[in-house]
Amino acid sequence: MSVVFEGVSFRYPEARVPALRDVSVSIRPGEVTWVFGDLGAGATTLLLVASGLAPRHTSGVLSGRVTVLGVDPATDPALQGDIAYVTASPEAQLSHVAETVSQEVAFAPANLGWPRERIWNAVGQALERAGVAQLADRHPAELSGGQLQRVVLAAMMALEPRIWILDEPASALDVSGKAMLHVLLREAASSGAVVLVASEDADAMAGVADRMIVLSEGSTILDDAPSTILSGDAVWQVCRGSTTLADLARRAGAIRPASEFCAPYPITVPEAVARWRR
Amino acid sequence: MARAHPFTGPSLTIAITLLAFLLPAPAGPLWLYGGVVLAALITGALSAPWHGALICLPLWFFLFLLHGVLGADPSWSLGSLSLSREGTAMALGQAARLGAIVTATLAMYRGFSVPRFVDAASERGWPFQYSYLLVATIMAVPRFVSQVHHIREAQRTRGLRLTGNWLTKGRGLKALALPLAFGALAEAEERALALETRSIRAPVRRTPLHVVQDRFADRLARWLGWSSVVAAVVWRLAS
Repeated sequence: MSVVFEGVSFRYPEARVPALRDVSVSIRPGEVTWVFGDLGAGATTLLLVASGLAPRHTSGVLSGRVTVLGVDPATDPALQGDIAYVTASPEAQLSHVAETVSQEVAFAPANLGWPRERIWNAVGQALERAGVAQLADRHPAELSGGQLQRVVLAAMMALEPRIWILDEPASALDVSGKAMLHVLLREAASSGAVVLVASEDADAMAGVADRMIVLSEGSTILDDAPSTILSGDAVWQVCRGSTTLADLARRAGAIRPASEFCAPYPITVPEAVARWRR
Repeated sequence: MARAHPFTGPSLTIAITLLAFLLPAPAGPLWLYGGVVLAALITGALSAPWHGALICLPLWFFLFLLHGVLGADPSWSLGSLSLSREGTAMALGQAARLGAIVTATLAMYRGFSVPRFVDAASERGWPFQYSYLLVATIMAVPRFVSQVHHIREAQRTRGLRLTGNWLTKGRGLKALALPLAFGALAEAEERALALETRSIRAPVRRTPLHVVQDRFADRLARWLGWSSVVAAVVWRLAS
């Protein structure tokens, strides 16, 4: 059971070029799949299509076939509660019917008709896991962006979804928040969930993701393990960034061509130390 | 008011609005306004009459000017002013209507709790989409005021001037109105997407997060409010 794109193309209304072009990938459960690309590469659109929100909410024309857990995410209400979709803007995901953080986290489980006791148990656990239990009685409007992002993540955790779709989920998080997020992603994947993350933070995602898909102008260009892609030159031909260490090696190589600055580039600090010790 | 059933406040506000137009002016609306002020004070919505009067004051002034001072047949005087008796009565009636409606609405907002309303609606089996629509409508005014404040502050940092002559103020209003209109459209779209990601389309009945007590006093207040409306309709039709 996974998220499958078969020849998927998508064009926003009045857009000259398609946001996605003939994308065919299968996002497997049990691993963290990271979508990477420059701005406008199509990563957000890929996530919107996977969650069934495009074209229903965005308008536009979709061709090809998308299935999530075997069904069409745009039309099948059976997926309600199975998909957790997290955007980069936590304020935009608030329900606006909650006066406390607890009520905000309980919003979706209540919509799913869960029994009250199950809702409050799930809310308590999710708040603990997201590190915001102390904010349970605060009004969501009083929180900082980072706290709100944790609350949104807690709201999704409470659902125990089988599909996690996250678009720049760390954009508002501080260092400890990012660490919490990475643990959450790994735990979700370990529990057999499908985890699909779009992120520009190559340094962070390199150590978290199992698989990396590089998009450029709406097409899948590379699809491999992050260490393989990030240590090579191909990613630089389609994107303007990679990890800080790979960038450093490339810049150093441009100044002083030498074998230690050529691909494969180091991705982690231990790799860089081992290579550049001399 | 905060402990009242969430349907009581909006229900009474609608009934008061209807009564304000059903009761014969000026005595009916004046009595109604007095009753609303008294009820607001008794139920703890102390600031509602004061804020209501502040909001109505400019309109009261223009009503008095238009109907009382500039009205036909000036037949009595207040100090050095010659006033129209009919016009003054009309102004009083309109002013009382306005005062009653605004005060009742402010008192209702003071005790209105969105989550309690949604819970109460869920308990009654209302589809969430409908209760959300109602809540969004009720909360549109405070939301609008808050948005105006944010946009005004943002525009001020970009050099907007809201003081000076009417022309300057007019230009300032344009700089507020356009972002407000476009912002409202964008927010509506954003909210729809947000709700979509929060299982709003689930084909099941929403669970109320808390039990909302509908006490005898609440039911009685709502019953009295609507009975008064029906009685007023019957009376006006019969007379």
